[in-house]
Amino acid sequence: MNQIIAILIQIIFVLIIAPFASGLVRFFKARLQGRKGASPFLPYITLATLLRKEMVISETTSWIFRVVPFVVLSSVIFLSAVIPLIFSGISNVFMSDFLVIAGILSIGSIFLVLGGLDAGSAFGGMGSSREMTISALLEPVIIMIFATVSFVTKEFTIDGMLTSPTVFAPYLILTIIALILVALAENARYPVDNPDTHLELTMVHEAMLLEYSGKYLALLEYASSIKLVVFSLLIANFIFPLTLVGASSWGIGGLVIGLCLSLIKIIIAMFTLAFLESILVKMRFYRMSEYFSIAFVVAFLGMVIALLTNIAGIIVQYHSLFAIFSVICVAILFGRVRLKAILRYYAVSSLALAGVAWGLIPLVPEAEKINLWLFAIFTIITKVWAVPYVINRSSHAKKSLTNLPSFLRPGKSYFLAIIILIATYFILENISITGLEKWNALIYASVALIVLGIAMMIIKRNVFSQIVGLLVIENGIAVFVLATIGSLPIVIEFGVFAVAVATAYILSILSAQIGELYGSIDTEDLCELTE
Amino acid sequence: MNPSILIISFLLAFFFSIILKKEKTVKLSNLFFSLLGGLSFIVYAVIFLFSSRDKWISSWWMMDNFSALMIILIACIYIFSIIVSVRYIGHEYEEKIITLAQYKMYFALFQLFALCMFLVVITNNSLVLWLMMEGTTLSSTFLVGLYRKKTSIEAAWKYMILCSTGISLGLAGILLLSYGAHMGGLEESHIFLLSSLAENAGLIPQNIIRLAFVFLFIGFGTKAGLAPMHTWLPDAHSKAPSPVSAIFSAVLLNVALYAILRFKFIVDSAFLDSVWTNHLFLIFGFSSIILSALMMLIQTNYKRMLAYSSIEHMGIILFSLGLSPLGAVAGVMHMIGHTFAKSALFFGAGEILIQWKTTKIAKIKNMLKYSKYTGVLFILGIVAIIAIPPSALFISEFGMFAQSIAAYPITSIILFIALGIIAYAMLSLSIKMIFNVEEENNGEFKTQKEKWNITHSIIVFEFIILIGLAFWFTTANAEILIDKIVKSFLFIK
Repeated sequence: MNQIIAILIQIIFVLIIAPFASGLVRFFKARLQGRKGASPFLPYITLATLLRKEMVISETTSWIFRVVPFVVLSSVIFLSAVIPLIFSGISNVFMSDFLVIAGILSIGSIFLVLGGLDAGSAFGGMGSSREMTISALLEPVIIMIFATVSFVTKEFTIDGMLTSPTVFAPYLILTIIALILVALAENARYPVDNPDTHLELTMVHEAMLLEYSGKYLALLEYASSIKLVVFSLLIANFIFPLTLVGASSWGIGGLVIGLCLSLIKIIIAMFTLAFLESILVKMRFYRMSEYFSIAFVVAFLGMVIALLTNIAGIIVQYHSLFAIFSVICVAILFGRVRLKAILRYYAVSSLALAGVAWGLIPLVPEAEKINLWLFAIFTIITKVWAVPYVINRSSHAKKSLTNLPSFLRPGKSYFLAIIILIATYFILENISITGLEKWNALIYASVALIVLGIAMMIIKRNVFSQIVGLLVIENGIAVFVLATIGSLPIVIEFGVFAVAVATAYILSILSAQIGELYGSIDTEDLCELTE
Repeated sequence: MNPSILIISFLLAFFFSIILKKEKTVKLSNLFFSLLGGLSFIVYAVIFLFSSRDKWISSWWMMDNFSALMIILIACIYIFSIIVSVRYIGHEYEEKIITLAQYKMYFALFQLFALCMFLVVITNNSLVLWLMMEGTTLSSTFLVGLYRKKTSIEAAWKYMILCSTGISLGLAGILLLSYGAHMGGLEESHIFLLSSLAENAGLIPQNIIRLAFVFLFIGFGTKAGLAPMHTWLPDAHSKAPSPVSAIFSAVLLNVALYAILRFKFIVDSAFLDSVWTNHLFLIFGFSSIILSALMMLIQTNYKRMLAYSSIEHMGIILFSLGLSPLGAVAGVMHMIGHTFAKSALFFGAGEILIQWKTTKIAKIKNMLKYSKYTGVLFILGIVAIIAIPPSALFISEFGMFAQSIAAYPITSIILFIALGIIAYAMLSLSIKMIFNVEEENNGEFKTQKEKWNITHSIIVFEFIILIGLAFWFTTANAEILIDKIVKSFLFIK
């Protein structure tokens, strides 16, 4: 009995909160963009208005057109019933098998596509074709994500995954990132789709709804808000699985707490979404494949690490994950040509470096913890903020010079970076330094960073790449510090970071002077002194 | 006595250089504080050197006879360079080559630069040593690039990029060493102390120490201008203002070498044998000498010629140290002699540059007529640097060959030829400048007669020291003292 009430509460909560959630996104977005924005409760009124309006249905449509809104709405209501959003362990858990979920999602989108096609208008067909392309790319990623989690937790149902204790495994971060990417696409948000416009160039989801009006439109809009709520709660639950209320035994107190937590989750998720939509732009449709390949690669990496961990017995911890992430950022930076992009990747790589220190905190003795905290904070202040800021400011004066051509085209640069990474791996495999096996991944990351930095200084012959190369070497040394000594005395640590900032400052002044005097930043031009 | 009190004078000089608004007050404050700081360091070191104490160690400071020697060298050249700077940079300020802001920046950075070098040689903490080494690079980059011209900015750029990269690798070496010590069971608070590393070197696993020393040698070797990593050196030396070139060539390279030697001591104590490190020293020393011999022949710029000569002398010092224990005495003597001879030459080069406004050898003619004091002193300096007696360098090079001819006869003969080539090249280039009397482009330069100035006095003073040293080196007293110095940094079985 308890359980059935739980299901009902969950469904009703989701149904009630859904229009508020989509109103909230618009509200936050308006505030972030400096507008006052409409009340977050506006969608309720919109839906009510639509429900009272007359419907105009094209004569050429068949029964499919009329069925679509009901199928789509019932598919999302089904999702809100079976996925553990507020309660875990509800009686219909066996139905939240991840294949079933993926199937239900597909049914919804297939009917939406058919509805778009049925009226025979140009826009509907275009939207349907785009939607099909996207969902074809999306499908494998969803399966991959849930397969990974399912493999780690040895459960097939989403409910089981969330209640399993192993859901805390660090490498699932990758899977969750992939899940967020998928959720953005599935809900037709930025950067895949623009939910706000009816422009021919940008719309995907809206194009399919274009022929609907009145009550049917209300149902479809309602369905898409429900889907947004379901996905945001699901992601929040993957990140904080302990916030679920057990369905078999709950009291009024637990229920209130659970509902409050869900509300907070929705508000935070909507704020994050609004923030993302304010800083991102929509991608061109033909670049969408890149987006999905990133999602796929991330999900795939998550799966590979999961398999390695469980089969080969390699335990992946936070610090190694961050170290590898830091190296990957530098490898991506390798092929970039715009200084801004390079600095951004450098900053992210440094952030991952702070993450390494953070990941090491639980593993070291009590006395060293404070040092690692300081290390992480110093890294964020100096290398994530100060150093990129200083370099960026000096490059501002010469806007035309911020494209950094290299000998190698981006493709070849990436190839070189990968070769370096592999070569480093095999060389390190063959050299064994006594006692350094403990932090294998960190040693690898530091050597890889140093080698990549040196390679960058050699193959990219312009001043800014040389600066970034030097900074990457410094990051490599910092990882090396963490891998060997763990932490330096505080005075010295302060000095080391001061040196990093001073180096960046001096080099950026010099590079500005070079740009001024030589009119270029190519180091090939620095050849006046060759006698 | 804690040397941290002496640091205050440098910091005061730094702040006064920034705060004071007039050229004259900046000049006076710098002269005052450099004399105060430099002389007190000299007194401090001399007292230490002649006292019976061999070592004074705390958790931050380490003072032994070798440090004392380095302090004396740094302090002497520091005082001389500040005095010459006042004349040289003051002249450029009057000629409106540099602005007041640059003038103030020059002195402020110069003080920081000198302070960093002092701290390198008296610290006991390997990380402080690294920080200060990097500090010398950071503070002197704008000294190299003082004139905002294409060439000087390029030289500064190369200097900064190469040395920073090199020293970053040096840090990796230091970390490896400390990590090895940590694994060997040394206490957490002692793993960065040079003194405890040296005492407990046996605990460090040997493969780690080998790897660490390679990093350290490459890293600090870049700063010391050893042969394959030397490329920044001729550029920076030729483009920096002459007093800066002088302090670079005479002291900075030695300071970098000091760092290598400190770590060499640790490595040798770990291996209980110095064969491996000595071989590294011999190879790099040999290649430095050969490289500069080859490059010297094609020089067209007198400051670059002096820069290559610095590489050569670094090579000689390294080679002598590689012949330790006996060659090390010659190495130390050479270090002392080279410091004074080379700084005198760079001061002279600065005077030539002021008067002739060019660094090209071909454009300078008949110096005996137009700048007779500088001309005579410059040729005397060249004679001293190519080790013609009674220069102190003669004694050290003689000592080196006396050792090496027995151990490595063929190498020694090659080196002898190389030194001959260098001597020939330097003499022929400077004789062209001084005695060539063709006057085809007579109208181009002013025929203003040169007056005796403070730089000439400093150069003469340095020559007196050099000759005095030559005689003193042959006495038994000196032998005992230098032996004492050598013993403090050299591992002897």
